[in-house]
Amino acid sequence: MTALVSHLKLLEAESIHIFREAAAQFRSPVLLYSIGKDSTVLLHLARKAFWPAKPPFPLLHIDTTWKFREMIAFRDRTAKEFGLDLIVHTNHDGLARGINPFDHPPSVYTDIMKTQALRAALDAGGFDAAFGGARRDEEASRAKERVFSFRAAGHRWEPRLQRPEMWTLLNGRLGKGETVRVFPLSNWTEGDIWRYIALEKLDVVPLYYAATRPVVARGDQLIMVDDERIKLEPGQKPEMRKVRFRTLGCWPLTAAVESDASDIDAVVTETLRSKISERAGRLIDHDQAGAMEMKKREGYF
Amino acid sequence: MLVAALREESAVRQTPESGAMVRLLTCGSVDDGKSTLIGRLLWDAAAVAEDQRAAVMQASQNRAHNGEKVDFSLLLDGLQAEREQGITIDIAWRYFETQQRRFVIIDAPGHEQYTRNMATGASHADVAILLVDARHGAKRQTRRHAAICNLVGIKNVILAVNKMDLIDWSEQRFRAIEAEFETMAASFGFTQIAAIPVAAPSGDNVMRRSSTMPWYVGPTLLDYLETIDVSVERSDAPFRMPVQLVLRDSDFRGYAGTVASGRIRPGDRIVDARSGLGASVRRIATMDGDPAFAGKGDAVVLELDTDLDISRGAVLSEATRRPINADVIEARLVWLAETPFDPEMGYLLRTATDLTPVTSMSISALIDFETLAAAPAHVCAVNDIADCRILLGRPTALDLFADLPATGNFVLVNAVDGATVAGGVITWAQAGASAVGDNVLVLDRELLARGLCSDLGDSPADLAEFHRRAQEAAILLRSVGIPVLIEI
Repeated sequence: MTALVSHLKLLEAESIHIFREAAAQFRSPVLLYSIGKDSTVLLHLARKAFWPAKPPFPLLHIDTTWKFREMIAFRDRTAKEFGLDLIVHTNHDGLARGINPFDHPPSVYTDIMKTQALRAALDAGGFDAAFGGARRDEEASRAKERVFSFRAAGHRWEPRLQRPEMWTLLNGRLGKGETVRVFPLSNWTEGDIWRYIALEKLDVVPLYYAATRPVVARGDQLIMVDDERIKLEPGQKPEMRKVRFRTLGCWPLTAAVESDASDIDAVVTETLRSKISERAGRLIDHDQAGAMEMKKREGYF
Repeated sequence: MLVAALREESAVRQTPESGAMVRLLTCGSVDDGKSTLIGRLLWDAAAVAEDQRAAVMQASQNRAHNGEKVDFSLLLDGLQAEREQGITIDIAWRYFETQQRRFVIIDAPGHEQYTRNMATGASHADVAILLVDARHGAKRQTRRHAAICNLVGIKNVILAVNKMDLIDWSEQRFRAIEAEFETMAASFGFTQIAAIPVAAPSGDNVMRRSSTMPWYVGPTLLDYLETIDVSVERSDAPFRMPVQLVLRDSDFRGYAGTVASGRIRPGDRIVDARSGLGASVRRIATMDGDPAFAGKGDAVVLELDTDLDISRGAVLSEATRRPINADVIEARLVWLAETPFDPEMGYLLRTATDLTPVTSMSISALIDFETLAAAPAHVCAVNDIADCRILLGRPTALDLFADLPATGNFVLVNAVDGATVAGGVITWAQAGASAVGDNVLVLDRELLARGLCSDLGDSPADLAEFHRRAQEAAILLRSVGIPVLIEI
């Protein structure tokens, strides 16, 4: 493969342009911060876009209470280091009803603890625009996503509502009840994200680097045991293996991969050589064909 | 080693290189085998992960598509509605890279009812692949695709003559199609045209050189894409930077924007085109330090030696060759909205970073795709390409598209619901035509607040309602022939 990087500055400039367009046109934006590698790059670009001023919006994290502990520690450290406002929102109603990723199908759990929680948090904050780290290379229905993705009242994504985007002109004039999701990383690939993290020497959650961790097998996937809430099958015992994560979400729903890539150089090399697509480790996308498209219609990112 | 090499490279580079990433538009229809060609390109260039390969193999078997072993087009059709109908409606973005370059594939639908989607996709492209079926040659559709590429400013065109296997790999037939296309394209502003004979399912001349067409000695499609020169800007292009926003931090005040053309260095004189006010650049500020200069595509902050009191929408330019401070323009546009052009509707002109109310607008001609001639017309609907004349509510800094594309394009916005209704290029502009004459009724905030909107306060909901009433009032007045300008 290749160590191509000369296009990263083009992607960076394009993302900064998008951040500034959104900040100039929307009344009350927020940055959806999900702690992963894409959010790390997103936040770094936001800092560049408004430097020497701080980004003119808070961070929002939807906490399902099932994130890896290392993610939460990283989140709090990051917000403090850059002096940014951090809003943490949890669907306490769902929590009280005992919704969890072990006893409920991924689609139900995701809808209640992530999609509904996100909608409630955006409504509560009165935000008219939310930055997200989605990339078009992630999944088929994402490949058609706009940079300014319009949502009708209730945060519904309707293909017919989407506006054509010509040249670099981003029209952010909202219709009645509309809000927008803004995707500055639209044209980045997973390989670009890692090369940029290396180039800019960005800190990421250590879970992205290989280390010996306790895991259990579920089907052909490895799940890390992050706390005592794990539900083991009879006779099953966690075993120690050298693993890392390509993508980070709720720990019971995010599969680890066996890897020796324990630093950034090794991760870049492994990513560029990888033959398995990134979202293969995400259990929620595999329910049915077009799963992501349906989730988006319901207001998922 | 990999990362060390990459850091070294970044240390010597100061500005983005336009050739590092190539944006490639693919136009043609399902019948021409377009999805198969792109699928083949991704498959061969190793941009397809193994689980995706397995999924495509599986689906190919389920469908037994045309009896082919692998249906490469399954890699591309994204949205469920499209998969069910077997057509491509929206633009899809794909990414792959080789040792040489990073590519962005913009896959746009080919049918006439999706002209708007194609124009939208084309506006982002450096290069266009026009796909034709070798059995049929360049059709009316090819002419239309070429016209759209030309309209939005594409300079490099590749004519991919596909399905060569179905015409027995005939050189004679290929040369005839090539000649026919060159005649057709003569009236356009393309600077580079290449014709390549291919067969997508078998991959002939896509990445692998075809052994069945020894008479073709030119590059394969991928070879050509890896080496094509996509820089379009003249080295002496005048400096332009549309201001996106003003950044302030304690005693710092700077203008943030992306350089649209030309170069700027500390010490250079610049002017705000609208006010005519001038200043010198004190520094170019970025989080990575102050670069010695900034060029086209750089996202920077300019700190000036004097405060110009300007805001978003201003275009900073070099002092000698300035933008036109226009209040009347002529343009060629593609109509994007389902609702046709309506002279009574309120529209806004969105240029690089400015948003200007349109006082009045009229259609003068429609482009006939058969002859490419402009025929006089007064109406314009979805997928039409039309010539128009627009009077602006106030002078706006802009350029002619042929001179400077990034400050010579625009989209037209519906003032009521915010929809993007058209995208266009400026073909003529004039300053001082005084569009706002004595007979124009100016609806300003005070006038509206006095009566029609006297029940509204300052909340976001009330302000939205204020704007809605203003627009509705303007529509009623325009319908009885009164020119209206909203200034709130």
